[in-house]
Amino acid sequence: MNASVSSGVGSLLSGKPLRAIAALILVVNGLFPALWILLTSFKTEAELTMKPITWLPHAATLRNYSQAFSDQPLLTFLYNSFMVALLSTALTLLVSVLAAYALARLNLRFRGLIMSVIIAVSTFPLVTLLVPLFETMRALNLLNTWTALILPYTVLSLPVCTLVLTSFFEAIPRDLENAAMIDGCTRFGALFKVVVPLSAPGVFTAGILAFVNSWDEFLLALSFNSNPGLRTLPVGIQLYQGEFAFPWPIISAALVVGIVPVAILIVIFQERVVSGLTAGGLKG
Amino acid sequence: MESMVKNAAGRVDTRRAILSRWLDPDETTLAVLLLAPAAILLGVMIVYPVGRLIYTSFLDLSLTSGLPARFAGLANYQQMLDDPVFWQATWNTILITLITVPGALLVGLGLALLANLPFQMRWPVRLSLLIPWALPLAFAGLIFAWFFHSEYGVVNDVLGRIGLPGVIWFNSPRLAFAAICLAIIWKASSFMAMIILAGLQTIPRSLYEAADVDGAGRVRQFFEITLPLLKPTIVVALIFRTITSLQTFDIPYMMTGGGPGTSTATLAMYIHQNTVSFLDLGYGSALAVVMFGLSMCVTALYLRMIRGSERAS
Repeated sequence: MNASVSSGVGSLLSGKPLRAIAALILVVNGLFPALWILLTSFKTEAELTMKPITWLPHAATLRNYSQAFSDQPLLTFLYNSFMVALLSTALTLLVSVLAAYALARLNLRFRGLIMSVIIAVSTFPLVTLLVPLFETMRALNLLNTWTALILPYTVLSLPVCTLVLTSFFEAIPRDLENAAMIDGCTRFGALFKVVVPLSAPGVFTAGILAFVNSWDEFLLALSFNSNPGLRTLPVGIQLYQGEFAFPWPIISAALVVGIVPVAILIVIFQERVVSGLTAGGLKG
Repeated sequence: MESMVKNAAGRVDTRRAILSRWLDPDETTLAVLLLAPAAILLGVMIVYPVGRLIYTSFLDLSLTSGLPARFAGLANYQQMLDDPVFWQATWNTILITLITVPGALLVGLGLALLANLPFQMRWPVRLSLLIPWALPLAFAGLIFAWFFHSEYGVVNDVLGRIGLPGVIWFNSPRLAFAAICLAIIWKASSFMAMIILAGLQTIPRSLYEAADVDGAGRVRQFFEITLPLLKPTIVVALIFRTITSLQTFDIPYMMTGGGPGTSTATLAMYIHQNTVSFLDLGYGSALAVVMFGLSMCVTALYLRMIRGSERAS
């Protein structure tokens, strides 16, 4: 390792102890907030109001977790978040796989224009459509339904997923498809039997991006689904605040429960997520 | 008898031809079929609502009044110009953008340079950039509200340990605003860092080796090789960040709710309040048109730049 000391700015800090300091800075910056919430979630209300404040919990307790589930329908919030994210991800993938295939493989006359539209939509501020979408959902009686969120979330992730998938499709040799078509596959057949399986990592990456986008969205969920039974997690978490009291240990426990599912997804698929983010973010 | 058989065969043939045209359409038909779902979705969820938004912004449409919609001309826009909260919220939004976009860039650049060191284990570094990105903004807002809690927050605790007096962050407009900006910079910098890190990794090592031979110092290498080669990456990241920042809602909503008073309210928060709480759809629309305009300016800049770089290459 020492033999291959890196060049460039890196070697300003290439000594081992300096590298350790760099790692420490990165890890503390990235993980301290989540760690602090985890520590808070194990503290009792009494410990929380001690001065000076304690860092490590003195008498760790799991009571906050059971209260987080009993005070509010936390499982329902999780279920709503999960189903909305899952269904909008599925819809996004279906639509963007088709569009990306056309962009990667067909001789489109207006390809440049279509790409510009996709990029413009990827920066579209969905917030500004709060009024018309609110009106439409209200008129269609869709307020307080999953559909009211699934449709906008699909549009939210569609551009970035299309860009990621287009770049993955472009990397697949055309010969494979042609061979399949010579063997009697139709174009759709070739798409779903050859191209999609071969770009499975890309489809998967796009899927994770869409899922995280939906899982994180707050404003539309807050505006369209206020019924406690249909709140998603970020919206539901507000219900723990009493009029005057702010039960921080219980809120922290609920936050930990909300962070864990996506954290697991990120830990398992970290490399794919990074490649997807950079492919989607840097395209163009 | 013979002709009947022939007829039947002919019918099967045409059916087969129709079927195969559907299953194996020519290029143009296929393109239309493949792009149609995306186009319909964008039409229904974006194009139509944008038209509706602009139309509604000229209406007097308040759901609480129970009166039917009435054309009001520019009344909503007139009201906006005379509305101090609108100016406050717009100014806050612009100020947040001016502070947090460069802030997140600088912190992100620093993190990316650190993360680009030759670590033996890559995953802890990667995770410490990915977890803040994946954390919902609303969660980040709550967590930072807890960090800056005046009595039991960890920020005041650390201040106390190094001998500084703790402060009541959310009672003062300035301090509350500073706390919000810090939270946004923390949340946004990790995504910046990931994008910049990917850019760093595409810079060929040979450039630095050549510079070493020429005797250029590290600092010079950074300003003359790293930074110029990162420029396209950084510009794209900045534009995305700027547009996202104009929509700031979650973090201030969770940390201060716009308070004290309306001193930390953003344009998105004011749109939300007028639409969902006051059900004043006309005024909410006029406010949204302003944000739409702001954001379109940045997008236009972006598209022009992409076209420019395509022509250049």
